Amino acid sequence: MKRSYFSGPYALWMILFTIFPIVFVGLYAITVRNETANSLYAGLKNISEIFANKGTYMKVLWRSITLAFECTLICLFLGYPCAYFLASKEFAKYKTLFVLILLPMWMNFLLRTYASMGLLERNGIINTIVTSLGFERLDLIGTRGAVLYGMIYNYLPFMVLPIHTSLKKMDRRVIEAAQDLGANPLRVFYKVTLPLSVPGIISGITMVFMPSVTTFAISGLLGSGNFMLIGDVIEAQFMQANNWNFGSALSLFMTALILLSIGLLNRLDAGKNSERSEKW
Amino acid sequence: MIDDTRLIELINISKSFGDTHVLKNINLYIRRKEFVTLLGPSGCGKTTMLRIIGGFESADEGQLIFDGKDLSSVPPYKRRVNTVFQKYALFTHMNVFDNVAFGLKLKKPEELLPGEKKPTRRQIKEEIKRRVMRMLKLVKMDAYAKRGVDQLSGGQQQRIAIARALVNEPEVLLLDEPLGALDLKLRREMQLELKSMQQQLGITFIYVTHDQEEALTMSDTIVVLNAGEIQQIGDGKSIYDEPNNAFVANFIGDSNILEAVMVKDYEVFAAGRSFECVDEGFAENEPVDMVVRPEDIMLVGEDVGMLTGEVKSVLFKGVHYEMFVEAAGIRWKVHSTTMYPVGSRVGLTVVPSNIHIMHKMADEDAYVGVPIQKSEAGQ
Repeated sequence: MKRSYFSGPYALWMILFTIFPIVFVGLYAITVRNETANSLYAGLKNISEIFANKGTYMKVLWRSITLAFECTLICLFLGYPCAYFLASKEFAKYKTLFVLILLPMWMNFLLRTYASMGLLERNGIINTIVTSLGFERLDLIGTRGAVLYGMIYNYLPFMVLPIHTSLKKMDRRVIEAAQDLGANPLRVFYKVTLPLSVPGIISGITMVFMPSVTTFAISGLLGSGNFMLIGDVIEAQFMQANNWNFGSALSLFMTALILLSIGLLNRLDAGKNSERSEKW
Repeated sequence: MIDDTRLIELINISKSFGDTHVLKNINLYIRRKEFVTLLGPSGCGKTTMLRIIGGFESADEGQLIFDGKDLSSVPPYKRRVNTVFQKYALFTHMNVFDNVAFGLKLKKPEELLPGEKKPTRRQIKEEIKRRVMRMLKLVKMDAYAKRGVDQLSGGQQQRIAIARALVNEPEVLLLDEPLGALDLKLRREMQLELKSMQQQLGITFIYVTHDQEEALTMSDTIVVLNAGEIQQIGDGKSIYDEPNNAFVANFIGDSNILEAVMVKDYEVFAAGRSFECVDEGFAENEPVDMVVRPEDIMLVGEDVGMLTGEVKSVLFKGVHYEMFVEAAGIRWKVHSTTMYPVGSRVGLTVVPSNIHIMHKMADEDAYVGVPIQKSEAGQ
């Protein structure tokens, strides 16, 4: 029997749950429904709609991208040191710490976000503490910061994990070699540890940026609907406006953007490798 | 060539990992420009000793003196010592040139260019380039400067690892089984190259290996280690000819080791008869270990030998034949250029100066793995 038969089930799965949906999204995106005649015709009206409407959707898109960018950046600066310490010799024996980082991921993200609401609400835990200390009540919920917080809280583990893995599998002797050649701890980090963990950083960035740029629900719950993101708009097109065609066009556009950014990121990574053969 | 000054001194060094005593009260000094080899089986503590000198481990007890100063609390990056690691530990994110330049780029400008008052960036860069290329030429890798290190073969990576350490002009170079991953032919070439580099540059080498042949080829001084203790220190010839105990005799070269009794000075009793020997200073009737090297046993006619035996097996080893001869209840390993077929009766003879008598080892553990033959009349 041919070995390739074993890949059959996976191929079927791919066709059913990846290829078909993408084809459908594509088809929906380039068809327009005429409500009065109740007929369908092909056209790029949905695509042009994205750019029209006084740029409303572009504004939402820009907001999504900037928020996702900020979220990724903060996750990187919080996540790298966290991963670094967890991977270090001193902390490696405390396996519980690592589990604590992962633990929130075991819960549904909506549950986590509702819990965050409880923290940030006008009468939530934080405000109870703040007012009981005699300070004025803070407006936390419904702010941009609250949305950003929700995203960071949800996606931080996706930054920590790949960086932790890349640091963990790094050969200790390479670090020792750098010390041996006269590098103090700071220089060991900048010249050896950091460059060698770049693959982990890249996959961390990808794993945080992608879900956060398409995030939905978080902005609705923690932003009180004041900060619609592109994910929310797409969701609304399907669930409320019942305009699957425009929703599909938006998500197709989003997918294209993400593919483009991954391509750029990969080129950046590859560029680093080819560069070393040229520079002295 | 070798200075008489003691460059490195280990005083009462002990080290444990958990319950295992890796090093037990080590005392050793290493002279300037000496090629010292730490030789022993795996797990004997040789690598730990090297890592203590390099600063990657600290001793539980004892002192490490470098050039008259206690080095125990000095971090690795401040020690005038460089290491060639076992699996090279090259920087895979840099090319060959940058790997070798790594240490130089960390040096202060005045160390690189002592003549210049205020060296410019350009001058520093030129000086680094000059030194790196000179070192790459020395290890015959100057054509590969711009290659990525993962594009190199094992032998080439090895050369880069050596160049990366040597370019810093350390006072001491530590080498942790650096040739372990190379094939035999390349290994022999590199042994000679390392030795000539050491003599050319006048640097102290501390070399860790489990390969006795490698140790004998390169070293000025060999330190034989077993179970965390120094068994013998000496040059290759003295260790081979006059092993301190059964462990050393077994580890360095092939040997027949048997239990014996020193009847009196110059007479030892083993394998059912007395042998004349050249050793003295033992107590009367002291139980001892006796060693005879396989190449020192001469096979003669059946009736003219000291012992008579039967050839049990023959192996052709290239230069010589290795034969096992059973005589007086003992299996003698014999190396000879003349072949005697299996089953033939032969006589065995050994001259007194080729019989070497050793004190019994104090530590019973040290006998583990040493094939000592009990002769009936030995006890």
